Amino acid sequence: MELTGSHTFEADQQTVWTLLMDPEAIAKAIPGVKELIPIEGEEMTWRAAAKVGFAALSGHYAGIIKMSEVEAPNQYRLTVNGEGQQSVISGTALIKLTYHPEKNETLVSWDAEANISGKLASLGQRLIGAGANVMSKQFFHELAKQLPTQ
Amino acid sequence: MVAAEEIIGSRIKRREDPRLITGEAKYLEDIQLPGLLHAAILRSPHAHAKIKKIDISKAAKHPGVIAVYTGKDFADVNPMPCAWQAGKVKNNVNTPRVLEIDRVTFTGAGVAVVIAEDRYTAQDALELIHVDYEVLPAVVDAEKATKAGAPQLHENAPSNIALEWTCGTQESTDRALKEADVVVKQRMLNQRLIPTPMETRGCIAQYQAATEEWTVWMTSQAPHVMRLLMTAFVFGVPETKMRVISPQVGGGFGAKIFLYPEYCLMVALSRKIGRPVKWMETRSENYIATTHGRDHITEIEVGAKKDGTITALKVNTYANLGGVLSTIAPGIPTTLYGRMLSGTYRIPNIFCHVYGVYTNTGMVDAYRGAGRPEATYVIERAVDLVAHELGLDPVAIRRKNFIPPDAFPYDPVILNGLKYDSGEYAKALDLALKMLGYESFRKEQAEARKQGRYLGVGFSSYVEICGVAPSAWIGLPGEGWGAGLWESANVRVHLTGKVVVTTGSQSHGQGHETSVAQVVAGELGIAVDDVIVQHSDTLGTPFGYGTYGSRSTAVGTVAVYNSLQKIKEKAKLLGAHMLEAAPEDVVFEDGKVFVKGSPDQSKTIQEIAGAAALAYSLPPGMEPFLDNTSYYDPPNCTFPFGTHICVVEVDKESGEVKIKRYIAIDDVGKVINPMIVEGQVHGGIVQGVAQALWEGAVYDDNGQLLTGSLMDYAIPKADFFPTFETDRTETPTPVNPLGVKGAGETGTIASTPAVVNAIVDALSPFGVKHIDMPVTPPKIWRILQGHGG
Repeated sequence: MELTGSHTFEADQQTVWTLLMDPEAIAKAIPGVKELIPIEGEEMTWRAAAKVGFAALSGHYAGIIKMSEVEAPNQYRLTVNGEGQQSVISGTALIKLTYHPEKNETLVSWDAEANISGKLASLGQRLIGAGANVMSKQFFHELAKQLPTQ
Repeated sequence: MVAAEEIIGSRIKRREDPRLITGEAKYLEDIQLPGLLHAAILRSPHAHAKIKKIDISKAAKHPGVIAVYTGKDFADVNPMPCAWQAGKVKNNVNTPRVLEIDRVTFTGAGVAVVIAEDRYTAQDALELIHVDYEVLPAVVDAEKATKAGAPQLHENAPSNIALEWTCGTQESTDRALKEADVVVKQRMLNQRLIPTPMETRGCIAQYQAATEEWTVWMTSQAPHVMRLLMTAFVFGVPETKMRVISPQVGGGFGAKIFLYPEYCLMVALSRKIGRPVKWMETRSENYIATTHGRDHITEIEVGAKKDGTITALKVNTYANLGGVLSTIAPGIPTTLYGRMLSGTYRIPNIFCHVYGVYTNTGMVDAYRGAGRPEATYVIERAVDLVAHELGLDPVAIRRKNFIPPDAFPYDPVILNGLKYDSGEYAKALDLALKMLGYESFRKEQAEARKQGRYLGVGFSSYVEICGVAPSAWIGLPGEGWGAGLWESANVRVHLTGKVVVTTGSQSHGQGHETSVAQVVAGELGIAVDDVIVQHSDTLGTPFGYGTYGSRSTAVGTVAVYNSLQKIKEKAKLLGAHMLEAAPEDVVFEDGKVFVKGSPDQSKTIQEIAGAAALAYSLPPGMEPFLDNTSYYDPPNCTFPFGTHICVVEVDKESGEVKIKRYIAIDDVGKVINPMIVEGQVHGGIVQGVAQALWEGAVYDDNGQLLTGSLMDYAIPKADFFPTFETDRTETPTPVNPLGVKGAGETGTIASTPAVVNAIVDALSPFGVKHIDMPVTPPKIWRILQGHGG
């Protein structure tokens, strides 16, 4: 399943980049996640547990998040492997930042590919698509709240 | 009250309906037992994977959890048996285990079970089990699965082929195709369907350690067969140690015939834990773990003369059987499909080749019609394709090729010795055409086209095989069914003249309690209300093979009828004794025994039953009581037929199909209760039309079922349909004394091609010759926009 989307931050590119690279800020922004625990001996890799409360996706999930292909401050790849709800979720997203100096805005866009197996796969793509949309909106909304006040 | 002789054939309201309508009927979910535990099953999220390790420690500690088990805990329990293997060929059999131990071949295969005090706790604890899988590549398409390089599912099935089966003769068919004036080729898909009974599956097992006996309640269409398979094949215990009860069962459509792993799991758990255990399937589980139907990829070649005479039919089918074989899976795309490909037509040369294929999808087995809808779809589409090629009218080509009435009993050669019993195919077609007003429809169609409206008419002149039985034909040496297929009945006329019938057949919506009672009432001249029909409990009913293949009336009720004849014979002997007349001088009519010509002096069946029970004045040597058990193994199957006509209008802008009229003429032989037959026909049409227009199970390339809920799998609603116009012709079968054929599946078998033929007819101005199901608006829209199917 393919998912695409974008979010505009009212901040310059370096500020947004710093925010996106901050595990604590990300942990606060992912709905239901308390913290990202770095995995020892692996670079930019964290263990996370999440409690999701969105319709048919509701439940506990556990997984590993990894950042790679980091090209500061322009793009990076986020890979997620998780399970929960008798399902296995794996996905990878290429996240790109584009700065619009005239408005001092940074557009963060993502192009993701998700593979879902098990119960969640059978619930129908449109539910999952809608759920992913709502959750990514929530995520960026929460993340934006953590931008340093100017 | 309806006069005795008219009871058989009258529209009596179903006796089972008051309890169903008022909610008093007890389904599996309604059964509560002291100490009842609840099971939840962890299912594989992967379509193809090795199970490396399962960690149950967290789940086992969860409050309220009684036990957690994995497949290893049941390594001593045999895999499910495959009771019907394709006849006379090697079957590479792989069947499910109660829980899989080291490998899964479809998404939804059970790998662990949690037993808890309540079902919510059990479900919650499933989340705490961690399974380490090694995911393997998957294949979901039956044809691709046989090709080089495809992932291999089972060691004993090279190229994923479970079976390769043929019928007919290849050589003569190839020769006839070569000599034909025209040859039409077509590839067609018969998509996978999900049966979706109103009630999902479930099971409760209770074990009594002191006697080592089980009582098992399950949602089964065949409780006796379940008991036999579980005791003799899975657990290796005497069958007398188990009682199986099917409570009220809320629909099955075939999917509740089979022995599923969950049932055996409950049986095993109840013994292990020592408390009764219940499992009730969720709808999501039902979609991934209960059998599906159809799923054929077929290539056909039809040869014909210029005048439309069909000379040859060659069929090659890949039948998708899923990741493992269900109980009778191999029999469906072989015996019940290939052998019915001649349809209602005289086709001198037929050859059918079938691959039954393993893929990483859910199990496929019988679904209402089971093989015959697939065969009927092939032949009824084939006839239309030939008509189109030759510029002939679809009605004319059917008429030209029909097996004529004087050719019965007709041997279509591919039926392995069986013959079509009786048929008047043109008569049913004529009646259907008259109801349609064929000529005026064609004028209306031409007019509409001028206005840019696209009407179409589709025909389906079908024949099917019912009352599936003759043990010598279907059994192991012939068609591969691992047993006989007779039915049994016991009829007991109690002291007061009330009758109790016990039948080995099972009712899950067919109305046996009404139609069987009508036969008893009609034969014995008593009121329907004086008859009790007991079924669905292995304790107290004689063995029977169950309800499927439209066989309960044509086989099961004939056993009842035969017992009634023997009871009437005994009643005559006793009646003559009571009347002090010679037995050869008396007759049994309208529930009374009297000397021929003197009906005033008579003994009623109630008086005779009383005398037989009290037994103080019986003729010498006569045993007390009117009681008889019959075992009936018919000499042949029965072959209902008819013509269905569908009229559609296709909206050019949206591609939407509207069913304007639906006409069904069915000949199911003699009818015991026309209202019940109509109900069966209506339901069947709905399911068959749904395949043509809406339904379809879709797996993605990884073997994930994308249509896993009722949000994404389109089952029909009542307002999708016009009022059905139904009628009957009645050609009794000579096969059984009741003259009955069977009516449970005709609607599903006939309707699907009628709808598709109608759509193709409507779209013929656009050069459409064939369109695959489900014919959804986007598919039509693309064709109309010139983007192809």
